[in-house]
Amino acid sequence: MRHLEQEINSLRQDIIEMWRMTISQVYNAGEAILSFDKDLAMQVSMRERKIDAFELKIDSECENIIALHQPVAIDLRLVLAVLKINSNLERIADFAYGISRILLANPSLILDAELITDSKLNSMIQQVNKMLAQGLEAFETEKPQIAAAIFSEDYQVDEINANVSRKIAEYIKKNPERAYECLQLMGVFRKLERIGDHCSNIAEEIFFFTDAKILKHTDKKL
Amino acid sequence: MLTIDAKNVDFYYSEFHALKNINLEVEKNKVVALIGPSGCGKSTFLRLLNRMNDLIDGTRMTGSVLIEGKDIYAPGIRVDELRKEVGMVFQKPNPFPKSIFENVAYGLRVNGISDKNFIEERVVQSIKSAALWDEVKDKLNKSAFALSGGQQQRLCIARTLAISPKVVLMDEPASALDPISTAKIEELIYELKKDYTIMIVTHNMQQASRVSDKTAYFYLGEMIEYDDTIKIFTNPKELSTQNYITGRFG
Repeated sequence: MRHLEQEINSLRQDIIEMWRMTISQVYNAGEAILSFDKDLAMQVSMRERKIDAFELKIDSECENIIALHQPVAIDLRLVLAVLKINSNLERIADFAYGISRILLANPSLILDAELITDSKLNSMIQQVNKMLAQGLEAFETEKPQIAAAIFSEDYQVDEINANVSRKIAEYIKKNPERAYECLQLMGVFRKLERIGDHCSNIAEEIFFFTDAKILKHTDKKL
Repeated sequence: MLTIDAKNVDFYYSEFHALKNINLEVEKNKVVALIGPSGCGKSTFLRLLNRMNDLIDGTRMTGSVLIEGKDIYAPGIRVDELRKEVGMVFQKPNPFPKSIFENVAYGLRVNGISDKNFIEERVVQSIKSAALWDEVKDKLNKSAFALSGGQQQRLCIARTLAISPKVVLMDEPASALDPISTAKIEELIYELKKDYTIMIVTHNMQQASRVSDKTAYFYLGEMIEYDDTIKIFTNPKELSTQNYITGRFG
């Protein structure tokens, strides 16, 4: 096997590992907030530094491959895509950490079960978990059509998020004493919505890697 | 123990001071690339390591060069023995006007080895190590001149490996080759470092970055910087190194 191929394979394995860690962080942060599981939130919080360190490792690998091997064509696109996917995954993991911190910073936080159902928090969490997994599958199998589904799912996430403000505002009017916890819940939704955006960015990078297509700032009609 | 340890090396072509106080250490199984503009002294330094410069009249060296702890310029050192330990591959492939097999066997024969089985085994092993076996296994008795330039260069590498050197010196081994042959030589260097310590002079900076563990940048007879290749090519200490590797000068 060529030296460059070995380096590229190693980079692929590392970004897949980063992806799995991030998926696990988002899943656990979602479970923690849905079940008010502070231990799980603490676990997410503790793993954040490991993700940050892994991000730096992958950045460094990309820099080294470019500096030492001057990759071209699909090899170059892979390295550039991994650089950006890495950065997006780290941001996603940051949001998972942020969700866990909401729970840890407010140990007595109780969210109204009816509000949680009505605001579709569970659906939103499931949706971003699915998008993250689809991104990984698309990357591993090099099938951009799997990544294409992420764009439409991001619209669904955006739609849930768009409706949340109104629902929460109505809830606050009826239950003004619970405004603080509602603001915390808003924060969770905002973070999940941003996770969806980053998944969409990752899907764009997968298209760049596999098909050399640039979908950024387009309407994503494939 | 270091495989190569050059200490305070100065070298003169008559009055011309070609190398100035070079100190360079190389660990076993590493590839070191020497880079720098023409006339900087990198080939002169390489040739010091198997005393090729001895052949040039009016040259003078001070300092010491140790190969596996042994001073190769000490009195009583036999140059033919040294060159068994420190093999060399040149810029232009230089096969002998002999068969492919005999080219590789030559070094063994001139060293007094006559055991046919041993020679055959070593020739095959060396050609395999030089990543040439699949291309020549059916024509070992054909003339080496029938091979392409890239194949001839790998044959010369096989010839060097046949006598089991500790160090392989390469003076721009791919500069006369096409890109595919160059890539094969580069992959070969990467493979060979498992068994040998390699020093390569190259004008091709990308080649230096791809094949070497450490890189030394020479300029006007001085070694300006010597560090891990990744450091040299991402964040060199010296501005002069940066200017050279980025093509701003040299």
